[in-house]
This record gives sequence, structure tokens and C-alpha cells, in this order.
Amino acid sequence: MNLNDCLNFNDFRKLAKKKLPAPIFHYIDGGSDDERTLNRNTEAFDDCDLVPKILANVGKPDLSTTVFGRKISMPIFLSPAAMQRLYHPEGDKASARAAEKFNTFYSMSTMSNNSIEQIANLSSGPKLFQLYIHKDQSITDDLIDRCKRANFDGLCLTVDTIVAGNRERDHRTGFTTPPKLTLKSLFSFAIKPKWVFDYLTNEKFELSNVKNKTDKGTNITKSVIEYINEQYDPGMNWSDAEYVVKRWDKPFAIKGVMSVEDAKRAVDIGCTAIMISNHGGRQLDGSRSPFDQIKLISDAVGDKVDIILDGGVRRGTHVLKAIAAGAKACSFGKAFLFSLSAGGQKGVEKLLQNMHDEIQRNMILMGCKNLKDLNYSRLIFRR
Amino acid sequence: MSLKNCHNFQDFRSLAKRKLPSPIFHYIDGAADDEITYNRNTSAFNDVDLVPNVLRGVESVDLSTTIFGKKLDLPFYCSPTALQRLFHYDGERAVGKAAQKFNTMFGVSALATVSVEEISSLIDTPKMFQFYFHKDRGLNDSCLERAKAAKFDVMALTVDTITGGNRERDLRTGFTSPPKLTLASLFSFATKPMWGINYLTKGKFELPHLQDYVEEGTSTNTSIGNYFSTMLDQTMNWNDAEKLCSQWGGHFALKGIMSVEDAKRAVDIGCTGIMVSNHGGRQLDGSRSPFDQLAEIVDAVGDKLDVICEGGFQRGTHMLKALSLGAKACAGGRLYLYALAAAGQAGVERALGQYKSELERDMKLMGCTKISDLSRKNLRFR
Repeated sequence: MNLNDCLNFNDFRKLAKKKLPAPIFHYIDGGSDDERTLNRNTEAFDDCDLVPKILANVGKPDLSTTVFGRKISMPIFLSPAAMQRLYHPEGDKASARAAEKFNTFYSMSTMSNNSIEQIANLSSGPKLFQLYIHKDQSITDDLIDRCKRANFDGLCLTVDTIVAGNRERDHRTGFTTPPKLTLKSLFSFAIKPKWVFDYLTNEKFELSNVKNKTDKGTNITKSVIEYINEQYDPGMNWSDAEYVVKRWDKPFAIKGVMSVEDAKRAVDIGCTAIMISNHGGRQLDGSRSPFDQIKLISDAVGDKVDIILDGGVRRGTHVLKAIAAGAKACSFGKAFLFSLSAGGQKGVEKLLQNMHDEIQRNMILMGCKNLKDLNYSRLIFRR
Repeated sequence: MSLKNCHNFQDFRSLAKRKLPSPIFHYIDGAADDEITYNRNTSAFNDVDLVPNVLRGVESVDLSTTIFGKKLDLPFYCSPTALQRLFHYDGERAVGKAAQKFNTMFGVSALATVSVEEISSLIDTPKMFQFYFHKDRGLNDSCLERAKAAKFDVMALTVDTITGGNRERDLRTGFTSPPKLTLASLFSFATKPMWGINYLTKGKFELPHLQDYVEEGTSTNTSIGNYFSTMLDQTMNWNDAEKLCSQWGGHFALKGIMSVEDAKRAVDIGCTGIMVSNHGGRQLDGSRSPFDQLAEIVDAVGDKLDVICEGGFQRGTHMLKALSLGAKACAGGRLYLYALAAAGQAGVERALGQYKSELERDMKLMGCTKISDLSRKNLRFR
């Protein structure tokens, strides 16, 4: 199996599984607790059906949309994801280049292995930075100011990781970052020599954005979970978010909004977008899926902020359903991380090409000339 | 697999399965008829989603709740279950001490294998005595008086075992109490020698609350179904319950209420709490799950007595959902029994500790710092 055989999400996932040591694969693939929410995120799309209009003479549909003040060529972009260097030696560089090529957003995690400046130098494409509020405010301030200088288009504040989720696969595989060889994991690394070779012969693993601020950014073996629990401020509240909005003063989203009440507050503090997300089912298991919740939220605030659906998206039709229910765009994490693991920049490009083609084909089949033609009347819910 | 590999309910279950002779494992694990209700008790939680609130400032979480006038540090407790020394030689001693460590309620069954007097001397945290209404009124009086003398805080009358449930796994494995070696069970006991050694060497198996009254309390091998069907008084009615309630004179609950009508009558006869329960799916198969029925009952009587949701809990998020619907506390048997079988007191402590840390984590992710922050606004049914 190689990249050319990857036609869909499951193919990329399979290829990634072949290439990655098991603890790393399961870190991407897993969710929290019983993974109910992880599964529901995708299943939710199956509860409604698309209703096409025929003989609509659509020609070549326009897939473009505007988010974070920037026009992008397709309504899906790369979610921020930590430590991409674990999945491919090129890490964030590969993702950023691939996204630029398709003129869609690349998102950088606070926990990236590349620095804000590095990525800004190599891509002039649309860029979003994902911020965590740290207990040490100077880290937060520093990140915001650097993004501004590096000309990132948007900033999103992640609010659903106030404490780390219970990712039981990571308990079982002994996942840590940087990867630590334990008796348990030794075998899974030994049978993926190519990954180990690439990991050891390329740039050193570090959390580039925060490395000067905390010893967690260096070589000390700490699990991400510990980092989250130590560095992220569980006391974070709305006035902290408002402070960040003001300091940034450009297009801004809160990522992890699930209730209507919170969506309204996000509008009040000056957000220009919200990302409806449960962190890919990796935090609160048993919580609602973004697609199940989007209609309520878009009815409440859809005319005031851009709504981005994050979570569960595997197919072009999922994107279409989300747009019809009120999203301006979707973003995905797992799908692109598997493609990155499977083939670096080429892998991500292949995925984005697949998604582009699927969305285009399905728009034609739906009889839609542009994304505005997709609205709630084009969906029928089964119950 | 060892205790430190147990990260959740299913892990404890797997470890218990490895440690227990199969008739005993299946006595815990099984339920009535086709086990539809048993499975529904847990799957019911999947029909509703949690909707978190963000940016609430949630550095510290208070999980305490007050039921029956007692403040518990946790919003869940150990339901009374029978025969615990069959599962681990420390039995009720292990569970009681673990419950004390977390300052939560410990329920002691009338069919306990350690006496109320001993439990009372071991732990000083809140205790519930679970009572079966026997034909032998002398036995009933004795149970009540002993529990009172031992300073138990709550009396819970079980009302859903008027006859034994049809537990087909027990019929197949030949489960009796005390365990009897049959041709069918011989192999399963022989393959778990440690269990056999502990059972035979760590003190005689007995049912101290019954033994002075009936042969079922002694060494006669009987099935639990047989005990329910022959010893319990099937004429038990609301007058009997009311009399017991006033005879006890303290906090009194009915365990096994499922209809709104019965919940209202429980209020009328002076109960201070009810357990919405179908006995862990072990009695009437096809009956409604506690979580499915909870909202109606809370709406009807939630302001008049403590409504406790019992059954099906395997995760902190399950408890959050029940508490959001208005339960004052959650309770479960299998919740800690597999852990007891897996590793005695250490196992139960690990299990309770895991539920506690799950609840703390989940409360933070929900944007809540105390149980009363949870409400139906947090929930959306599918």
C-alpha cells in the first residue's frame, strides 16, 4: 500500500498505522474514555441526508469561502495539532506547505515543533495560530505578539483542554513526548525502524514556541498530559479570553464552544468566529458532537460570527452537510495527521486534493453553484 | 494483567473474571432472562449528550453531596450487595474501609458476610443497612434492632426482589451460596486454586444477620433465587413498609422504585429517600432503566426526598448525566464488585479513586465546580 492507493480517510489511516510506532498511532487515533464522542462525531453526519436539485446547470462550482478575513479556495482547513514532528520528520513544515498550495488554512499549535517565525518564513498562505492560556502570562503575551509580527491571519483560543482528557490508549501504550523507550513500547518502535531513523536523524524534537520559557520544551521526557496539567491555567475565564481578543486585535476564534450560551458570550467579547469542537472526542467523552449541535448555535449567532465545525469530518459530503447546517468552513485534525504520517507534504496534498475533488463533485451532484446555495432546506433528518 | 493495568470498569471486570471461579463471576456479571435491561442500564446514558460550558474558572472542584442528612465527599456510593466474601476473602471489610477512605456511604446487605456490629466497629463513615422483608418477623426485628444498635445511618428496604429473578447464568453454572461443588462447577473451581485456598482458610463463610434464624444463613447450599422465593414475604405491602419506616425511626429509603406513583407513595409513608433501581437488571428483564426513568421521578418528588439513581454506572460521565437530571447521588454494585474481586480493598480504592478523578476531570471540562452547578441545561437528548 502506498500514497497512490489512499482514496479516503480509512486508507490514510491504514497507511499511517503501518508507518508509525503503535504509541504514536494511537495517540492520534484515540479518544477519551470509551470513545463514544469520538465515534459520534462522525456518525452524527449519517443522521441526515442530502437532497439534490437536478438540472441546475452548475458548471464548475465555486468552493471558496472567507474565514479569519481571508478568502480560501475550499471550505476545509487543517486544525491545529500538536507535535507534528512525531508523525513525519518535516512536521508542521509539510502541513504548512501543503495548505499553502491549496490556498487553505494551516493552523499552528502552541505545542508545535516549529516556531512561529520559521513557518511564517516558508509560507505566505493563510495561517491560524492556536493559543493556550498559560499560567505564566508572559508566555501567552509573547506568543500573541510574535504571531502578530509574523503576520498570522487569525488566532484561536482553545478552551476545552482545561484539564487533559482520559486517553486510555495512551495509558496502555505508554505514550510520552518526546517518545520514551519503555519495555512496553520497545517492540512497537523496533518494528518501525524507518520512523526511528527519521526521528533520530532529523532536527531535534522540541516545543519550539515555548522552549525558552519552560523546561518542558526541551529534552525532558514529559507526557503532553503532564504539560497540559502543569502549564495550562484551569482558572481561565471569560475576562482572560477578552484580554487575548483585545491584545490580538485581528480575526479571533474561541475553539471548543459547544453551548449556545457560550457562543453568545463569544460574540459579546468580540470574537469574529467560533470553532464548534469537542477536541476530536479527546476530552469529555459523552459530550455532544459538533454536527449535532451546529444548528442550534448557527440559529443563535450565525449572523454575527463565522462558525467553523471541527470534528468528525472524513468526507466531502460531511463538509457539505456542515455548511448546509450553518458552518462557514470545517476543519479536521485526525484526517490530515494520518495523511501527514502516511506521506509528509505529499500525503497532506493528496488528502486535500481528494477532499477538493469530493466537495466539487458533490456540489455538482447537489446542484449547487457555490456554498451559499447550501442551506438547511437541503438536509432531511431521519428522526 | 494486574491491578495497575486497570484503568476502567471493563479492566476490573476482566481481572475479576480471571480471579473468580466462573459460577461466582457470572453471579456478579449476569442478570435476568436475556439481560436486555441490564445492558440498557448502561446504554441509556448514550442517548443523551453533555453540553459543556467554557471559560468558567474551574481550578478546584467540590464533589460533595448531602443525602439522608449526611455529607458525602463523593456524589456516588457503594450499593449494598450480598455475599461479598465470596468475591474476596475480606468481603465487606474491604469495601467498608475503602468507602471510609473516600468518605462515602457504604451499603451493607442483609445477606452480608460480615456483621453490622463488626462493620460498625471498623468504620465511622456513613452506613446504610439494606433490609429484606422476611416471613419470619423475629428475623426482621432482629435485623432492625441490630442495625440500630450498630448506629447505621440509613435503612433501605428492598422492594424489587419479591421473588427471585430468572438468572439463567446461575442456572447454567450451578451457582449456590455457599458454593457447592457440582460436576458442572468442579472444573471452574479447580482452575482458580487461589480463590479456593483463600475461601477455605480465611475464616468460615457465613451470613451473620440470618444465621440464628434460618438454615439458609448457615451451611446449607441454596441459590439466591431460592432464598428470595422461599424466605421473603410476598405479601409485603405499603402498610408493612410504613410500619418498618416508623419502627426504624431514622432515615428510611425504598430501594427499587421505578414508577412515579410509587415514588409519591414513598413520600407519603415518610421515606426520606428512594433508590430508582431495577436491581442491576437482575430481576425483571425488559423493565425500564433507572436513567431513562429518572427525570419523571425527580420532577414528581425530587423536592420532597433524596432521589438516588442506581444501576448502570461505569464512568464518571454517566454519573454527571444522572446528577444533571436531578439525582442527589449515584450508586452501584458492579461499580466496585469487580474491583473487590480483582484485588480486595486496594482494588476498591483504586476503582473509587478512578471514578473520583474522572468526575473531577469531567466537572472541569463541563465548566462546573460543584454538583449543584449541574442541571438539565447541560444535557441534550438525541
